[in-house]
Amino acid sequence: MSAKQGKHKYGMVINLDKCTGCGTCTVACAAENNLSVIKDETDKQRTISWMQLFKVTNGKPFPDTEVSYFPRPCMHCHYHTPCVSVCPPTATEIDYNTGIVSQIYTRCIGCRYCQAACPYQARYFNWWDGHFPKGTERYLSPEVSVRMRGVVEKCSFCHHRLMRAKTQAYAEGRRELKDGEYITACTEACPAGAIAFGDLNDPNSEVAGLSKHPHAFRLLERLGTEPKVYYISSKDWVRRMADNYRPDEFQPL
Amino acid sequence: MENQSNASEKNSKGGSREWSELLNSTFLPPFSLKGWLFFLAGLVPALIAGWVIFPMVLYSSQEQPFNFSHVIHADPDIGIGGDTELETCLYCHYFRDDGTFAGIPDLYACTMCHDDPEYPMGDSEDEMIFLEQYVAEDKEVPWLVYSRQPDCVYFSHIAHVKMGEMDCTTCHGDFGQSEKPPAYKQNRLSGYSIDIWGRNIAGFKTDTWDRMKMSDCAECHTEMGHEENNACFVCHK
Amino acid sequence: MEITRRNFIQLLAGGAAGIHITPVPWKMMDDIAIWTQNWPWVPVPERGRFDHERSVCSLCPGGCGIEVRKVADRAVKIEGREDFPVNNGGICPLGAGGLQLLYDETIRFTSPMKRVGPRGEGRFLPVSWSEAVGTLAERIQALRKDNRPEALAAVDGSRPGTASEGLVKRLLQAVGSPNCYSMPSIQNTYQTANLLMQGNAGPMAYDIENADFVLSFGCALIEGWGAPARVIGAWGRWREDSKAKGPKVVQVESRASNTASKSDAWIAARPGTEAALALGMAHVMISENLVDRSFLFNYTHGYEDWIDEEERPRKGFKTMVLESYSPDKVAGITGVAADRIIALAREFGKAGAPLALYGKGKGNLNGSLLECMAVQALNALKGGVNTPGGAVVQQGLPLAPWPDVETDPVARQGLYGGRLGTAGDSRLPFAESSIENMVEAVMQGGGASPVDTLLVFGANPVFTLPDGGAFRKALTRIPLIVSFSPYRDETAAMADLILPDHTALEKREEIVWPTGLQYPFLGLSKPVVRPVYDTRHMGDTVIAVAKKVGGPVADAFPWRRFEDALKARLKGLAEARGLTSWDGSKPVWKTFAEGRPVSPDYDSFDDLWKKLDSGGFWYEPTHDFHDLSTCFGTPSGKFEFACGRLEQAVKEAARGGDAKTLLHRMGIEARGDDAYMPHYETVLSADAGGDTLVLVPYEMFNHSTDWLPNPPFLTKTIFDNQLRRDESFAEVNPETAAGHHLKEGDRILIQSDAGEVKVRVHLFEGAMPGHIYLPLGFGHTAYGVYQKDKGVNAAKLVAGKKDPLTGRTVWWATSVRVKKT
Repeated sequence: MSAKQGKHKYGMVINLDKCTGCGTCTVACAAENNLSVIKDETDKQRTISWMQLFKVTNGKPFPDTEVSYFPRPCMHCHYHTPCVSVCPPTATEIDYNTGIVSQIYTRCIGCRYCQAACPYQARYFNWWDGHFPKGTERYLSPEVSVRMRGVVEKCSFCHHRLMRAKTQAYAEGRRELKDGEYITACTEACPAGAIAFGDLNDPNSEVAGLSKHPHAFRLLERLGTEPKVYYISSKDWVRRMADNYRPDEFQPL
Repeated sequence: MENQSNASEKNSKGGSREWSELLNSTFLPPFSLKGWLFFLAGLVPALIAGWVIFPMVLYSSQEQPFNFSHVIHADPDIGIGGDTELETCLYCHYFRDDGTFAGIPDLYACTMCHDDPEYPMGDSEDEMIFLEQYVAEDKEVPWLVYSRQPDCVYFSHIAHVKMGEMDCTTCHGDFGQSEKPPAYKQNRLSGYSIDIWGRNIAGFKTDTWDRMKMSDCAECHTEMGHEENNACFVCHK
Repeated sequence: MEITRRNFIQLLAGGAAGIHITPVPWKMMDDIAIWTQNWPWVPVPERGRFDHERSVCSLCPGGCGIEVRKVADRAVKIEGREDFPVNNGGICPLGAGGLQLLYDETIRFTSPMKRVGPRGEGRFLPVSWSEAVGTLAERIQALRKDNRPEALAAVDGSRPGTASEGLVKRLLQAVGSPNCYSMPSIQNTYQTANLLMQGNAGPMAYDIENADFVLSFGCALIEGWGAPARVIGAWGRWREDSKAKGPKVVQVESRASNTASKSDAWIAARPGTEAALALGMAHVMISENLVDRSFLFNYTHGYEDWIDEEERPRKGFKTMVLESYSPDKVAGITGVAADRIIALAREFGKAGAPLALYGKGKGNLNGSLLECMAVQALNALKGGVNTPGGAVVQQGLPLAPWPDVETDPVARQGLYGGRLGTAGDSRLPFAESSIENMVEAVMQGGGASPVDTLLVFGANPVFTLPDGGAFRKALTRIPLIVSFSPYRDETAAMADLILPDHTALEKREEIVWPTGLQYPFLGLSKPVVRPVYDTRHMGDTVIAVAKKVGGPVADAFPWRRFEDALKARLKGLAEARGLTSWDGSKPVWKTFAEGRPVSPDYDSFDDLWKKLDSGGFWYEPTHDFHDLSTCFGTPSGKFEFACGRLEQAVKEAARGGDAKTLLHRMGIEARGDDAYMPHYETVLSADAGGDTLVLVPYEMFNHSTDWLPNPPFLTKTIFDNQLRRDESFAEVNPETAAGHHLKEGDRILIQSDAGEVKVRVHLFEGAMPGHIYLPLGFGHTAYGVYQKDKGVNAAKLVAGKKDPLTGRTVWWATSVRVKKT
């Protein structure tokens, strides 16, 4: 299995041992990317959250119960990207030079085929035009366009921050970015420093190292979609959650 | 087929038989001469409506708040200039420290020179409008921006001008030579400026700055050998 | 010429053919497609120059440095500052969602208002500032004229030690009312415990980063306790596998919270029995000689049995613990197995720098004084007091005092005799200003309320007080309620007059010593945006009211505005030896542990102010760990297991009477010398058990549980087994649920003595059997559509005992009945 190799391959490593499940990533993402707010945000079939927290428990009885969290952005699958291959109007596409899977709202026809195709449920449909509590349209960032009704949206790895970093680099007369110059809003905000972000193609980057950690794994890895979001957990029961294993199939460390 | 031959029989009366035969021998519909006259009576006004009236109706035309002369301003004698044409432009349309492009200068930039509303630099009426209505009131001038891309578009000036070494004129034409800003024409349906949406209603392009649609960006990227920049997210946000 | 139908069709065909060879259809197709992409009601964010403003977040006492990203003078994002010693780049969900608290018009007061509808309905009409200030000033003048200045009362949610808090206290003092009440918080508990055991009412300063064994009794370490970004940042470092391993972290809590789950070990003790667990551990440590004997011998009082001034033999802590807190007995109280207690005590006793932390959830509400003291006793047993990696003895920030208030006879009379209720008197000598007592006093008797005018600052007691709704009832008896809240909260909805304060990003405010931080720290926020609405800094309003009242009240405020008063206090920092910048090369906790003095990076107050204004913080990254013989301000000059100050207070109050009765009224059932030492008092009333469950409300980090409204972004992080479609979920252990015939998702009625709520059941193995867990912060009846009517407010069910000595509510255990609906 091989995917096209581009110049950069941006990816993320989330250390679940460090993750406290605080939700700062979700909120920072929403604030960074002009996420719409609906009246009932607890309606998980309607709400939009690019970086969504999933809570898991080890299922053991009291007092041996443990909970853990999976923060779930878009996985930016590198091989046979499921959403890209089904999108009729090419509104979503993978750019092999960055590895980022784009979503162009003005091109999206709202068929929701990609939503059905995504194994990670990372895609969200706008049932309404972008809505913001009265007065809060003043905090909207011009770096990300506000979505209209009837289109699908998802995590963009804060692509505009890549553009921001590049613009800064160009101003300083550089063409290449240094490791850490382009990071996503969730990476920056995480108070536990659980999220690392960078170029997986750069052998010296932090993420390239972390992605090879013995405790590193990906969600539904055996689908072969080559997600660029890695997780690290020292706990077997957490790692086991990442895929549908038959009994005796999972290999504990 | 049968119907058609019946119809041509019905039409083949009178002296226009040759005409009709001639016309009927082509792919054209089997009209009588009178029929053709009516056809043309429909066709010609439609053409006029489509080619002449439609463009006039489709685009609204607005004047800028007051007249601004690039010729007067881009003058080394008054201190605005540079070694190259580009540098002259950058004097007012500059890059900020973070690399973003300032675009049309804000009031603050203008008041570097036009600092006192009581003392105009020249003797034009337009400068008085500027000083009295904007400088004195500390109000930004609501310039109409000819080349503003829609909200879904991300465009990096520094990538093109500094790294790509492109001239301003490639996209903006010879605005810098203008004495009076042209009327701002806005598409009533899409809300886009004619300068990005295509000056020629038929879509023909004579100069590089006639249009700045997605296809134009992509065409240039491809021509310059930067096909990788045709990825969606490079220009969309 | 005859025009036939055929000709007409030919004309149309000509027209149709013609239009297709013009741009009309093709251009229209394109333009209409574009038109559908640009609906005028979908906002297009204005472009402009990007800017950054560095400031300090003042939403909670966590003291995080923030950088506000701005576009064309609009704030668009709040991010953490990396040049800031407390959070070092991190931020919390509330901080990240803070802009929704600034710009959301539906939750804010846009100008001063007066009430027009019935109380609680929230209908107001705008009034001018001069009218609003005038109305309040006239009322105060009238009270003073009637010689009852004490009928002015205040509830103040401002953080202790800030200029805001000082100004409110000062206003009441100058007017002549002793009735200034602060909102409960863990900081009160810490200060009182420190006063009794260490002799100074300084802040609790835990040197967590330098400890090698962290035992947390109930602190929501990674869910908002203390300075959240500091603790979570440390937590992240500890889980960094390649670097040096961090301390072992053990959490004592009854529910599998995030902190409990992510800790190295979880000890599930019944809520409210933490003190017993600590004392049980003490038993093991003492009997196995795992204590710091030199510290105990030299610097503590009341560890061994002792002889008092009257030559009577007195029981020491050691004897009490060995007699009354054997692991087996403690296992019975706490539900933690005896061998688990022994193992934990051994681990704690053998660690090099163990640290026992006390807390209750996030710390927005009060803790239990005796529990806090029992936990601090554990630190003392290991000599972990005023040492690196221990509980550091701190005196508070060196702020300059304001000039004394010159009171007139009216004020003096009010201050002397006008105190409401029992706070601070013989019954509750260490409850400085317990709001529960104000409520009691207002509700007592059939006559007029002793409080005529109530001022509410930065607090929403109607919603947040876990009092079963008593505060709201008390408000209905108070003739005039004035709210200074910028938000349309439940308490403001009951108010008659609104004098709205600025919100966090619009105002200057200090963060005095983030909760639990080991080193002295002051953050200073600055306005990063111009006030969005017609609001005023509450400090400015207080000064304006005082000036309007005139006379000695006006004279007590020799400042033009808040900033002058603030500067007067901060002058004290200029005398101290602190720093105003941090280069990020070395964490402050490392410098702190080295204890080397630093030279200040400012040379005058003006210089300090300039640096505070631009940098936003002042701190002292050093400490003298060697002054153990002088740092305790207790009667014995030592760390006191047997609290002299407490005994003295009881003796004074009992003067001639029976100490036993008095102790009982204080909520203390222990007898003899035990009463003056950290000991365990039962929490639940006798009727607990049987068919009832114990309700334990809990705080969430990703939801605003105090007086601030919840930014809607945070609701995105709520799981749908906590709140779904406006229904709250209560966590119940599957085993307990089976006993009550409950299934996942069942709708139940929870009834307590205070009230009842309808919720749904979520089966959670991590919930302690016999207990039922309900998140706090839901069930608002005010603010906007994004906050209102979502779930139920657990605080309204709380009906428990009062915490001994402090009189604060025991909100962590209420017995309730559960009925399926």
